[in-house]
Amino acid sequence: MAALILEVTTRGLHRYFALEGEVTTVGRALDNDIILSDPTVAPHHLKIIRYGDDSVELVNLSDVNPTRVERRLLESLVSRELPLRIELGRVHAQLLRRDQEVAATRPIAGTGSGSSLFGRAYWVVLLACACIFVGGLEFWLDAYNEYQWSDLFKHVLRETLLSIGAFVLALAILERLLVNRWEIRQMITSVCLVYLLYYAIAILAGLLDYLFSSAWPGTLLYLLWFFLLIPGAIALYLIHISHLHRRRALLLAMLIASPIVLPSLMQSSKLLLLLEDFSSAARYQNSLSSLNWHLRPTVDVADFVREARELDPGEFAD
Amino acid sequence: MIRGFLLVCLLYAGILYQPAAALDSKQVYEQNEARVFQIRVLNRETGKKSSIGSGFLVGDGSQVATNYHVIGQVILEPELFYITYLGKDGREGELRLLGLDVAHDLALLGAEQRLGEPVVMTDLPPRGAPVFAMGNPLDLGLTIAVGTNGGILDQTDASRILFSGSLNPGMSGGPTFSEAGAVIGINVATARNDISFIVPSRFLVELVEQSSQSAFDENADLRDEVARQVLAYENRYLDKLVTGDWPDLDLRQFRLPGAISPTVRCWDNSAKLGAAARYRRFQIRCANKNHVYLDEHNKFVGRLSYDYFWLESDELNPVQFYRLYQNLNKDQIDSKLDRDVVSNFSCRTWFVEVSGQEFKANLCRREYVEYDGMSDVLFTAALTGYPDRGFFITLTMTGVDYAATLPLIQRFLEHMQWQP
Repeated sequence: MAALILEVTTRGLHRYFALEGEVTTVGRALDNDIILSDPTVAPHHLKIIRYGDDSVELVNLSDVNPTRVERRLLESLVSRELPLRIELGRVHAQLLRRDQEVAATRPIAGTGSGSSLFGRAYWVVLLACACIFVGGLEFWLDAYNEYQWSDLFKHVLRETLLSIGAFVLALAILERLLVNRWEIRQMITSVCLVYLLYYAIAILAGLLDYLFSSAWPGTLLYLLWFFLLIPGAIALYLIHISHLHRRRALLLAMLIASPIVLPSLMQSSKLLLLLEDFSSAARYQNSLSSLNWHLRPTVDVADFVREARELDPGEFAD
Repeated sequence: MIRGFLLVCLLYAGILYQPAAALDSKQVYEQNEARVFQIRVLNRETGKKSSIGSGFLVGDGSQVATNYHVIGQVILEPELFYITYLGKDGREGELRLLGLDVAHDLALLGAEQRLGEPVVMTDLPPRGAPVFAMGNPLDLGLTIAVGTNGGILDQTDASRILFSGSLNPGMSGGPTFSEAGAVIGINVATARNDISFIVPSRFLVELVEQSSQSAFDENADLRDEVARQVLAYENRYLDKLVTGDWPDLDLRQFRLPGAISPTVRCWDNSAKLGAAARYRRFQIRCANKNHVYLDEHNKFVGRLSYDYFWLESDELNPVQFYRLYQNLNKDQIDSKLDRDVVSNFSCRTWFVEVSGQEFKANLCRREYVEYDGMSDVLFTAALTGYPDRGFFITLTMTGVDYAATLPLIQRFLEHMQWQP
């Protein structure tokens, strides 16, 4: 008789029970071979009988929340095909052979001989320096008045380091709660990459606004950023760094992204244009660029006035 | 012909009507207290006052003149409100609308019967002459305010007389008398501190004459009539602007239109920058004063304003400079209205060559919900292509016919001259 394993999954945690004897009983009562404490499991829920020809018989013992195998209600089943997915009340389990192949080992990010960004100390330092540089650059570009170096340091500390630090801390705590691990270096790398990418998107959105003389390309870019790139980046992190299953990682990514995305969405004037159906302000294309790259041709005054006659009247809000 | 003759007679009757001596305020009051009424807009359901003003007898003595803004609520919601008069002697009764001159804020009302002797109207006395404004301030009873004639104001398109005396809420629509006891105008507004405004009586004479010539359909949607009158006035005004002579105004490297009408005043509006500023900015704001009262939601329309804004810097690099330039380039129409009153703006962007320079121009318009054909227009144009200097113009007009604004915008752009 080949040895079998019953894998029981509750709240994301896996427990493995080796089936040694010919008959194994599963249920909530203490006289079972495998005891499951979930209240939806019957005192005696399932009996597993192993035969000499490597087949296995599953017998349902419960009238309440009867056992399901491969999503079908079970009375009695004899099978040689394993694994079998079993549901006992709310508890999910899998009957496996001991020689069942397991997935390849995933390396811890930043270890081994690869050149991965994540977890390498020098990448962490390099990306953190890039963020500080971008924070300083942002201050310098907005410095229309004479400034002191102390103002620059204060800005970088307050606007860049503190905000990145807060994100890293919040996400690291979340990761600790979810997968019981601290991966600070990987987290700093990820947050820095997201910060730099956002800065690049903001610059690109401004250029596109002016290039097309329209707010739509920039708005679409922001939409892409908020609804796809942020949850996507978190999902990739959870899959590749935290090694969560894809479906779970995607769900968690959406949950984690929502407190970041929604406030940003409410503050983004570009995106507010999509949400508001009425505005007393004129939403005109006020972007200006020192590069002065624009696709729209330059017209003379007479042509402008002729085309202006065709300007549609404003639309009334509902 | 006969009507024209009568109109002239009516207008100058006051000149012939010369008492032996100049009247003082007590005599003016006693002579006219039976001719001046409190005008009340009452709620049909509650029977209570929703707004009050003043009015006085004109025409054949059954007609009462007041301000359009006193009874404007009835135009918007005739099913909810109606107009009554209340005399000093306690007489009261309902009034119906006989005629409107929205552009000059006048309304002519009619009573069921003759209420007394009408006033006599006259032209303006000399500047500085004493004049007397009668009305019912703050629902406190009929009173008289003494002041002096400050003359016709050019900046109001000759539609207002400056009255150096105190007008208070509730006196709107009341008469202002000369020392001869004839009406020189109708109380209309105040800017406080004894600076008040009166509509010249000649506009009322025309309104009385017009209403005697053609019947006023009070069952029609009066908002259409209001829109028609406002747009007719604004079209005439814009046409006058476009065809008038425009003085020049220099702002750094641009020669620009200055005060394009006597109704327009230009002021320096440059923000005071601190010593640490790494740029210089200069701003000139020009705006008209001949606004037209539309209704309680919109208040005034007919606003015309244009701002010139010059920005330059030797210290900022082009990226810094254009960040600042873009942040400043966000002028709006100075009137926040809600969705019940106006539509959203519709905007479009062009790159336009003006005097050899390229401008990024935006033109926006929005429409009025209640007034067909009436729009607000916003035009902006920002100079492009220079790394260290910027200039933009913002031209706004409210309560106008959109098509009538385009010749004005065109003339503005054609008038602008780049001075290398």
